[in-house]
Amino acid sequence: MIKTGRYGTVSWDPTGTPPVPPATAPLIISLNKWKASFKTDKLDVTCFGDVNRVYIPGMKDVSGNVSGYWNSAEIALFEAADAEAPGFLALAPNSTEPDFNWSGPAYMDADIDCSVDGAPAVSGTFMAAGPWTFAHTP
Amino acid sequence: MPSPPDSAAIRNSLIGHLLADSQLAGLMPDGVYSDVARAGKKQYVIVSLVDSVDQPTYEGRAIESGLYLVKAVALNNAAAAEAAAARIDQLIEDQFWTIAPGLDLMAAYRVAPIGALELDAVDPDLRWTHRGGRYRLDVAVTSPPPLGRTRGTDHLERAAS
Repeated sequence: MIKTGRYGTVSWDPTGTPPVPPATAPLIISLNKWKASFKTDKLDVTCFGDVNRVYIPGMKDVSGNVSGYWNSAEIALFEAADAEAPGFLALAPNSTEPDFNWSGPAYMDADIDCSVDGAPAVSGTFMAAGPWTFAHTP
Repeated sequence: MPSPPDSAAIRNSLIGHLLADSQLAGLMPDGVYSDVARAGKKQYVIVSLVDSVDQPTYEGRAIESGLYLVKAVALNNAAAAEAAAARIDQLIEDQFWTIAPGLDLMAAYRVAPIGALELDAVDPDLRWTHRGGRYRLDVAVTSPPPLGRTRGTDHLERAAS
């Protein structure tokens, strides 16, 4: 079913412990965008005689970013950026379907952009620190 | 899902903030009005919402950013309008006042000054002077806690209860 992204969630457990289900991890509040990429490297195995380039899949990469507003009541993103150990990140497109989510251990970086004419914006990038899973109802 | 606070409180608080100033009241004795003054008034302040945009987060409305026209209007008294506009600027620019529970003023500042002279259509000796500015009010929506959630499944528990 097509659902709005308005009720997306970004959950983060700094201990790195996978909660069950993943969406029960504490939310990082004041965010309004997340993006994840699950691209698999493609290895070029083109040979003499091939009529076009030929590829085989290599290793999948998991990375992405989150963004929103600076909220002094919520500094989890920046604590995550300072952490040496990975946390557990869960991303859900819509909170009314929490069984659909991507989750796994991740390292997080954080940025803040403070402009004179608006609310300070924050963003973070993440990358996998272990195996990620895509939870979904069959 | 809890509703965010009534946005009308922002304009009402701005009007109340202006009304509370005795110096402005001395310059504009006919009061402060939303959009249109009452008939027969000759020296007053108008507050109008020109444009507004809400900025959402996943938890709900996070920021209301409204552009307000705030101007002094005076009949055959340009000096009073000028002085009132200056006082309005002092009262709004970089000032903070209480709006309402759940609505916190983040910033108030002028985007542009405005000024106009309006001649009465019937009697050109009647001159209405308009002076003031367009002011941006950025307001944070702080309660109820956006969607009241701390975890990604909280809303499901509420729905079940």
